[in-house]
Amino acid sequence: MSEAATLSLPSRLEVVDHVRSLGRALVAVMPIHYPRAMLRAHQLHPMEIWGPPHVERHEGSRHFQAYTCDIVVKAMSFIRSGGLDATKAILVPHTCDALQGMGSVLGDFLQPDQRVLTLYLPRGRRSSDHEFLRRELGRLARTLVEVSGHEPCRDDWDEAFEAEDAADAALADLYRRRARLAISDRDFYTVVRSREYLTAEQFCDQAAALPEGEAPQRGVGLMISGIVAEPALFDQIEAMGAYVAGDDLACGFRRVYSASAEADPLERAANRLLTSPADPTCGTPIQVRVDTLQTRMRALGARGLLIYDPKFCEPELFDVPLLRKHLNAAGFPVLHVEFEMGDRLPYQTLSRIEAFVETLS
Amino acid sequence: MTRSEALPHYVESSRLEHFVNYEVLGKTTLRVQRWRDQWKLARRRPRPNSPLNPPLRSVAHMKEIMSRHYLEGRYAAGVRKVAWVTSGAPTEPLQALGYFLVYPENHAALCGVRRKAQGIAEEAEHAGWSRDICSYARTDIGAMISGKTPAGRLPRPDVLVCCTNICQTVLHWYRVLADYFECPLVLIDTPFLYQEAHDHEVAYVKRQIEDMICVAEEIAGKSLDETRFRDVMTNARRGAELWLEVLNRSQHRPAPMTAFDGFIHMGPIVDMRGEAVTVAYYERLIAELDERIERGIGAIKEERYRVLWDNLPIWFKIGDFSKWLAERGVNVVASTYTFAWGELAPMIDPSQPLDSMARVYLHPILNRSTGHKLASMRRMVDEFQLDGVILHSDRSCKPYSLGQIDQRDRLVKTLGIPALLLEADHNDPRDYSDEQGSNRLEAFIEMMEPRG
Ligand code: SF4
Ligand code: SF4
Repeated sequence: MSEAATLSLPSRLEVVDHVRSLGRALVAVMPIHYPRAMLRAHQLHPMEIWGPPHVERHEGSRHFQAYTCDIVVKAMSFIRSGGLDATKAILVPHTCDALQGMGSVLGDFLQPDQRVLTLYLPRGRRSSDHEFLRRELGRLARTLVEVSGHEPCRDDWDEAFEAEDAADAALADLYRRRARLAISDRDFYTVVRSREYLTAEQFCDQAAALPEGEAPQRGVGLMISGIVAEPALFDQIEAMGAYVAGDDLACGFRRVYSASAEADPLERAANRLLTSPADPTCGTPIQVRVDTLQTRMRALGARGLLIYDPKFCEPELFDVPLLRKHLNAAGFPVLHVEFEMGDRLPYQTLSRIEAFVETLS
Repeated sequence: MTRSEALPHYVESSRLEHFVNYEVLGKTTLRVQRWRDQWKLARRRPRPNSPLNPPLRSVAHMKEIMSRHYLEGRYAAGVRKVAWVTSGAPTEPLQALGYFLVYPENHAALCGVRRKAQGIAEEAEHAGWSRDICSYARTDIGAMISGKTPAGRLPRPDVLVCCTNICQTVLHWYRVLADYFECPLVLIDTPFLYQEAHDHEVAYVKRQIEDMICVAEEIAGKSLDETRFRDVMTNARRGAELWLEVLNRSQHRPAPMTAFDGFIHMGPIVDMRGEAVTVAYYERLIAELDERIERGIGAIKEERYRVLWDNLPIWFKIGDFSKWLAERGVNVVASTYTFAWGELAPMIDPSQPLDSMARVYLHPILNRSTGHKLASMRRMVDEFQLDGVILHSDRSCKPYSLGQIDQRDRLVKTLGIPALLLEADHNDPRDYSDEQGSNRLEAFIEMMEPRG
């Protein structure tokens, strides 16, 4: 982990100051998919909320039952304790039933100072889905004008797409260059996840500054799948004599979008979102997910799949038995563990991962 | 071995088997059974030590209709095209095309009522599905991989139709079915309505219904007959109107039926909406309810408190709850769940089938905001003159349950009535504690005492 020193990422607070100096207001955004360039064109900057892990569930539990995932309950705690006071709006994309409930409870009952925005993401990739998403984004854009007081002109849109497409491309490039980056998995994913709060330019700078060289990938290569993984996991995996050959994380590879050259900004934003890789929350058929994982695992030299899910995540849980069945048949062992978001990984979880790594060695 | 060959219990029937076992022997046997049940029910007198009045006589007819439906299901594969559909799917075009429809959720509920759900769900759990996913899904996945079902046998689907207007869970679940059955999965994606429906949402649903019709026509090998389609739509509207009337009869004091009766009598409107038999059945049921109202007969003998049930029933507890609550003078007279199949009746317009279907299938209560659900509960408290609300916090059903904590708080604060959050699961007995449940219900009833 000696490479940790190579990173010097701005803190969230520094980013807040920076975007304000650029005349942009902050919008808190829940996972997973949303139109970044559209926010930017409206002089808004997204700050994503994935947890946060250090927040307790207590306050959120006043509104959601115990069988609700940490992403939703902790975000609610964070909102209720004033953690998002600096933001002008909260955008809740319709990722799953749990986020649907959160968006609805926020808007109907809790009515925070911030405007609550929602976005329905279609579960297909058909022409009807494209058409719908284009119009749904149009609806969101009209609301963003009310939030920001800024109606984007053509130049605003072009500038925003140019910047965000560059950052998307930088993220895709990071994944392509992974084996040639002389940084630990922890650092790699710290940079990948910095897209959650940095500006597009800051992210591109960070990605470009990563040192090339031999990646410290020793031991057994794992593919890691799930919604989100906190940095401590990567340290632990390394300590067990394994490395992350690739990921299928909602906070990672599932957001490697392709750019679109459409002239119409809504069309362009819709195309981008509908090019996201296989993702159960987007309705990807299981066989397509299996094929994609298998191809990538072969190409990246991953020997097994670690599915690492927050508790109570239905979109993930439904796929697990079939991923296991099909990937086992293809010669890839699969381990599924569930976790509660926090600063420490429970001993039992770690020993299961350790045993899995040993069987792959 | 292909994936579908791993399901040997899904066999096809010949036309002869269908004719003999279903049309001739099956229908006749069920009719005789119904006559026998009717004869018994007609002679049944109130039992002195039961808090409940005798059951509705119509139940014999309902049993016949539902049993016939499941019996036909045993012999449908190979004879009729079969579609497995979610409970909120736009099925009218499929009916008009002659599909036999299987509602896995209703099948799972049947397993729950017969107290078979846990054992069948465990089959899915042994195969790796987590106990944290919806117990309907676990029950049906368990039935699919093991062949265990109280219905005898379900027909293999030629197509799966999944509509997200109740939850996203169904899409995750139907993706699993599609993987096993290797058949087309048609998705009708219905944007969740945080507020009123927008035009682009209606247009999106309409277009998907049109696309579904194309797929269904291709699989069926025939075109949709417009006249037949309109007839189905007319029946669907009439059936839903009548169902709503059935439920609204419980605005009378004493209420002639309980919401628990409603959970059972909703079978035809869920599984057979659009069919003439459903219309005829609810006409008969209304006549019997009116007779009860006229004679002042309530579903329970002493109705002291009138209560609303929110969310799915606890299928494996329906009988116990109904009796236990009746013993304490509590009549659960209404439920948000049963209303979902009736309240959209005015939106169904057979003269504009596709436009009206797009609207109808966007608007089920489960596809609407938590605030809308609270408004519905308030309206029901008023219209049914209710003394309290039981909100079943259903561990399996997140879309129905998330929001209940705030809904309960507002019911208590703004209407000043007791409202109880009851932790359970609609199909999994392992998630309900009898002792804790009874204690909480006792306390709830005590809070209603000043109103009794
Ligand atoms: S962790 Fe799963 S259930 Fe929770 S918000 Fe994310 S996708 Fe939804
Ligand atoms: S019980 Fe709830 S989660 Fe399960 S299928 Fe029905 S609506 Fe969906």
